[in-house]
Amino acid sequence: MNAVVDFPVKPEARGYLARFVPDDSEPGWLAARRQQAMTRFAELGFPNRKSESWRYLDLQPLENQPLLPSPAAPRADTAALSERLAHLSLPEAASRLVLVDGRFAPELSTVEPRSGVWFGSTAHAMRERPDLVRAAVEGIEGDEAHPFAALNTAFFSDGFVLDIAPGVTLDRPLEIVHLGAGISESSFHTRSVVMLGEGSRAGIIETYAGEGRYWRNDLVGVLLGQRAELTRTVLVEESAAAVHLAQIEARLGEGARFTGFVLLLNGQRVRHEANIRMGEGAKCVINGAYVVTGSDEANIVTVVDHTAPGGQTSELIKGVAAGRGHGAFQGRMIVREHAQKTDAHQLSRNLIIGQRAVIDTKPELEIYADDVKCSHGASVGDLDETALFYLQARGIPADEARRMLIDGFLREAVDTIEDIAKRTHLLRRLAGRLAELEG
Amino acid sequence: MMLEIKNLHARLADGREILKGIDLSVAAGEVHAIMGPNGSGKSTLAAVLAGREGYEITEGSVRYQGRDLLAMAADERAREGVFLAFQYPVEIPGVNNTYFLRAAVNAQRRHRGDPELDAGQFLRLVRATLKLLDIGDDLLQRAVNVGFSGGEKKRNEIFQMAMLEPRLAILDETDSGLDIDALRTVARGVNGLRSPDRAIVMITHYKRLLDYVEPDYVHVLQDGRIIQSGDKDLAAELEQRGYGTFADAMGGDAA
Ligand SMILES: Nc1ncnc2c1ncn2[C@@H]1O[C@H](COP(=O)(O)OP(=O)(O)O)[C@@H](O)[C@H]1O
Ligand SMILES: [Mg+2]
Repeated sequence: MNAVVDFPVKPEARGYLARFVPDDSEPGWLAARRQQAMTRFAELGFPNRKSESWRYLDLQPLENQPLLPSPAAPRADTAALSERLAHLSLPEAASRLVLVDGRFAPELSTVEPRSGVWFGSTAHAMRERPDLVRAAVEGIEGDEAHPFAALNTAFFSDGFVLDIAPGVTLDRPLEIVHLGAGISESSFHTRSVVMLGEGSRAGIIETYAGEGRYWRNDLVGVLLGQRAELTRTVLVEESAAAVHLAQIEARLGEGARFTGFVLLLNGQRVRHEANIRMGEGAKCVINGAYVVTGSDEANIVTVVDHTAPGGQTSELIKGVAAGRGHGAFQGRMIVREHAQKTDAHQLSRNLIIGQRAVIDTKPELEIYADDVKCSHGASVGDLDETALFYLQARGIPADEARRMLIDGFLREAVDTIEDIAKRTHLLRRLAGRLAELEG
Repeated sequence: MMLEIKNLHARLADGREILKGIDLSVAAGEVHAIMGPNGSGKSTLAAVLAGREGYEITEGSVRYQGRDLLAMAADERAREGVFLAFQYPVEIPGVNNTYFLRAAVNAQRRHRGDPELDAGQFLRLVRATLKLLDIGDDLLQRAVNVGFSGGEKKRNEIFQMAMLEPRLAILDETDSGLDIDALRTVARGVNGLRSPDRAIVMITHYKRLLDYVEPDYVHVLQDGRIIQSGDKDLAAELEQRGYGTFADAMGGDAA
C-alpha cells in the first residue's frame, strides 16, 4: 500500500507494514495512535535476543515464517468451537466472553448484564464506550519500547473491556476465552482493559487455546483504583504450533490488590510478561506454574515496580521442563527510593524431567530504598528418586508415579488460587496435560 | 513357597558388599522376625526384596510364589502382593494421601483384572479399614507423610498395608520409636493380615513387638548373613544377652 515510507524499516517488519491499512471509520485519536505504533514497530523490528528480557525465547521460527494479521474475521465452525469450549471453560463463571481468532464471537458468548459493570468486547466498547478504550490505549505506556505492544496497538482487532463502578463486588468470576479456530495461519492481536473503581472487587479467568499455527499477541491493561481488588487467572493451552506472547500492564492505586495466576501448559513459544506498578500500600501476588515439553519454550517475565511506600509483593513460580523443553522465569523487583517499608518476596522452584531440558531462572532486585524487606530464592532439581520408589513400592506404575510427583510439585502453586472453582478447573487441566507428557 | 531366598549377595554402587549370602525360606501362613544390630543389612535386604534400585545382586536368587522376584520391577512386585513398610516413610509434598492410596489400590485391582473402585466405594473401604485398625481419619486429607509425626508415619504404613492386603508383607522396624498405642495399632494390622495364604516378615530391633505378634521363626542377621535361626525364644535370648555378646558367641561357633 504505502508507496513511499520515509522511516527505517526492519526487514522482519515489512510484511506487517504492508498489511497496515488505516481504517477511516475509527476515531482520529486511535488512527493517529495506530500510525505512530506502526512506525515504531517498523523501526524496532523483532526484539533482539541480546535484549535481556527476550534472551530465553527463540522467535526465529516466527521471523522466518511470519504470521501476519488476518484482515477479516474468518467463518468458524461454531459446533466444533462449542465442543472445545465445553472442556475449556469454567462452569461456574458468571459470564463468558469468547473471542475467536481475536474477534468477539457473540454466538459463543453469554454475558449477563449487571448494574455498575460494563463488560463486553473491545470492538463493542469502541462504539458504546470509546472513552474506556481510549483510557486503555493512552493510559498504558509501554508500546514505545516494546515492539509487540506497538504491533498490538497498530493492529488490535478486538479484545474485552471490563469496567466496574466504585464499590461493586462481583461474587463469581467472569470468563474470557480466546480461541484460535485453526482456519488461517495468521496473527491475532487483542487489546483488553480492566478498570476497577475505588473499592470494587472482581475475579476473571482468561483461557487461551486453539488449533493449528498462529501467533497470538495479547495485551491487557489493568487500572485499579484505591483499594480495588482484582484476581486474574490465566490458563494457556495453545496449540502445539502456536506462538503466544502476552503482556499485562497493571497500575495499582493506593491499597489496591492484584492477584495474578498463570498456568502455561501448551504452545510452541509462550511468553507471559507482567509489568506491575505499585501504588502506596498496594499488594501484588503473582503465582504461576508452567510445563514445557518437546522443543517448546515458555517464559514468565515479571517486573514489579514499587513506586510508593508500603507495597507488598509475593511471587511463587514453579516450572517443569521435560523433553528438550526450555523454561525461564525472569523476575525483576524494583524498589524506588521513597518506597520504604516495601515487602517483596520471590521464589522460583523448578523441576527438570528430560535429560535435554533446560530451565533458567533469573531474579533481579533493584533496591534504592533502605528500609525494605526483599528476598528471592530459586532451585532447580530432579524428580525425587526416593519418592518415586515409594510410590512404585505401592504398585503405582512408574509413568503414573512420575506424573503424580510432577502434579504434586506444581500443585503447590495452583493451590494458592483461593477460588475453589478456578482451582479445581486448573488442576483438572493440569492433570490432563501431564497425562500426555513425555519423559 | 511364598519366599525363597538363596545365597543372596548384594552390593552398593561403590562396590561395598552388604548382603553376603542370605538364605531364608518363608512359607504361606508364617510370620518370621529378623533381628540384628544396626548396619547389619536388614533394610538393605528389605529394599532388595521390594525392588529398590542402586543395589547390585552379584550372586543368589529370590523366588516369590515360584517366580523370579528379582526380574520384576518394584511396582510389579507390589501389584503381585509384595508390601514393604518403610523404616523411613517418604514425605511427598503435594500428593494427597487418599488420592495416592486410591491410585495404589486401583493399580493393584487393574493388575488383577478387578474393576477399579470409584471414589465412593474407595471411601467406604477406607472407613472400614480405619475402624478395624482403630485409627482416626486425620491422615487422609494431608499430603503423603508430610508433617506426620514418627508414629503417624508408621500408622500410615500399616494403614496402607491393610488397604492393599499383601501376600507378603515386609515390615522394616515399623515398631521402632512407637508408644504403646501406636505399637498396638501395628500389632492389630499385622495380626489382622495373618492368614494361611499370607506371609509376614518383621524386621525389628526389639522383642517388644513380638509380644504382640508371635512369630513362628526368629532369625538373627549379622554383617549381611543370617547367623542363627530359631523360634520366639531366640528373641528373648537376644534381648537378654544383647547383640554384641550374642554375635561373638555365634561367630565363635561358626568359626
Ligand atoms: N543406599 C545406600 N547407600 C549407602 N550406604 C548404604 C545404602 N544402603 C545401605 N547402606 C549401608 O549398608 C549398611 C547396612 O545398612 P542397612 O541395611 O540400612 O542396615 P540395618 O537396616 O540393618 O540397620 C550400612 O553400613 C549402610 O550405611
Ligand atoms: Mg534399617
